[in-house]
Amino acid sequence: MNTDVKPSWMASRMPCLGGWWAGLTTPSMAREAPYLAVLPWLITAGLVFLTASGLVLAVYYNPADAFASRQFIAREVNNGWLIEGFHATGTTLVFAAAYLLLLRGMLARSYRAPGELVWLLDIVAFALLLLVGWLGFALTGGAAGYWSVMNATNAAMLLPGALGALGTWFFGGPDGPGTLARLLVLHIALALVIFFILWLRHGAKKAATPLPAPALRVAFHPYYTAQYFVALVVSALIGCVLLFFYPHFGQSPLNNVPGGPLALATGAGVPWYLAPLAGLSALFHGTYGGILGLAAGLVLLLALPWLDRSGPGRRAGGLWRLLTWVLALDVLGLGWAACGAAGGLSGLLVVVFGAWYFLHFLVLTPIVTALEAQ
Amino acid sequence: MAETSDQAMGTGEHSRRDFLTILTASAGAIALGATVWPMIDALAPDAQSDASGQMIVNVAGVAENTGIAVQWAGLPIYIRRLTAKQIADNRNLVQSSLPDPARFKSRVKPGYDNFVVVVGLNTGISCALEGNTPGEPRGPYDGWLSPCDGSAYDPLGRVRRGPARKNLVIPRFTFLDAAQIQFL
Repeated sequence: MNTDVKPSWMASRMPCLGGWWAGLTTPSMAREAPYLAVLPWLITAGLVFLTASGLVLAVYYNPADAFASRQFIAREVNNGWLIEGFHATGTTLVFAAAYLLLLRGMLARSYRAPGELVWLLDIVAFALLLLVGWLGFALTGGAAGYWSVMNATNAAMLLPGALGALGTWFFGGPDGPGTLARLLVLHIALALVIFFILWLRHGAKKAATPLPAPALRVAFHPYYTAQYFVALVVSALIGCVLLFFYPHFGQSPLNNVPGGPLALATGAGVPWYLAPLAGLSALFHGTYGGILGLAAGLVLLLALPWLDRSGPGRRAGGLWRLLTWVLALDVLGLGWAACGAAGGLSGLLVVVFGAWYFLHFLVLTPIVTALEAQ
Repeated sequence: MAETSDQAMGTGEHSRRDFLTILTASAGAIALGATVWPMIDALAPDAQSDASGQMIVNVAGVAENTGIAVQWAGLPIYIRRLTAKQIADNRNLVQSSLPDPARFKSRVKPGYDNFVVVVGLNTGISCALEGNTPGEPRGPYDGWLSPCDGSAYDPLGRVRRGPARKNLVIPRFTFLDAAQIQFL
């Protein structure tokens, strides 16, 4: 293959394009990467897809009459049902990749020095994703979304001091006719902020990864693009199966009833990707309980680089890996129980699974990593 | 010689890899197109706007020498049924006497020459014309009169007195039968 970069018509007039292409084709990357190293890129591609389908939905969406405008999109807009499916299924895929990315980071212990910043940015992006996902769920105008917004605004208003001011600014007062219009703008704006965080993460990852010897490097294109293409095709296949056979995957049927003061949603009713957090926020009671559980769950993830006491350069031990897998199952179970899937046992299971989450991070992680480091 | 080694390396111009590259790129392009197309198509008018864009109006109830106003594509559309006298008066005008010469035939549909359908906006200063509802002044030519700049139109919507210099615009429409017209 000819790797000489001949200045093309465009590149001679806009040299940055030539430089960009040269950057893609110059050997500068490790010869091989694990398959799952593709996840950040997949998340970015998924977000681009969500942005495109979201732009189309935003053309027809009406926050003043959210539920009716979604019916309009599904019934009157050309391919509207498909675009809605794109947006819902794309969200499922992006969150699946995001959860996998966190699991992989914990198993590989890539959050330790010098990768702490990458991990922190991962968690920030994940938190933003959750927030944007929740905003999207709120925008559906269904009964579950309606009550979720109602509870969130009430709790945010009541927070003391600066946090309450932030909540008031975010929601613009108690839940009312204008709330969804505001949440729509935040849904779009924060989604774009995620791109910025991912870009920062890309830079941090590059800085944290040592370059291999020059002889062992390969170019991004075609070696990595081919791998990424395969990952994209596999995700697209999974997405197609979900889109055409399970278009309402992970969504609460309660949300197919228009929201209103008289349409009471029982249980959490959140989509699957929010369910574990809903479980954590259901653990604590009282006015601030929900927010406390949510914040605690995310802060523990942020604190993981410092909760791990093993010191740099140590390989992960078998017990730690086992515990991480148990945590993954625990989070799945927490989400499952939070959706009320276990019937009368749900309340108890949420407490058990939620307690294990905190036990894992606050007790087991420091002890096991410190023991294995000896 | 060079070509043989190229082929052995799978990098020649007609190598298997070359074929696979083209095949992969084509499949990718088709998949991308199939994904993007629904989104672009969704930006086309939705079923509701499409239907209202092709509105059907019943004109059977319009009596002679009266008109109705309907709204289509955000415009006021005036539909008037002419009397035999109005048709006779306007059929054979000397073209050169008109500010914007237009034949009678070009202002009506063949076979339905007693119906005039125009956009009811003055072509000078843009404002709604008077003379469509009973009792409103029709101006000296028994057509429409602009209350804003005094331009006068004949029953066929041709401008007869300025300052407007263009005839009234005729929207796209067709007669489905003697009772119904459809806008397109």
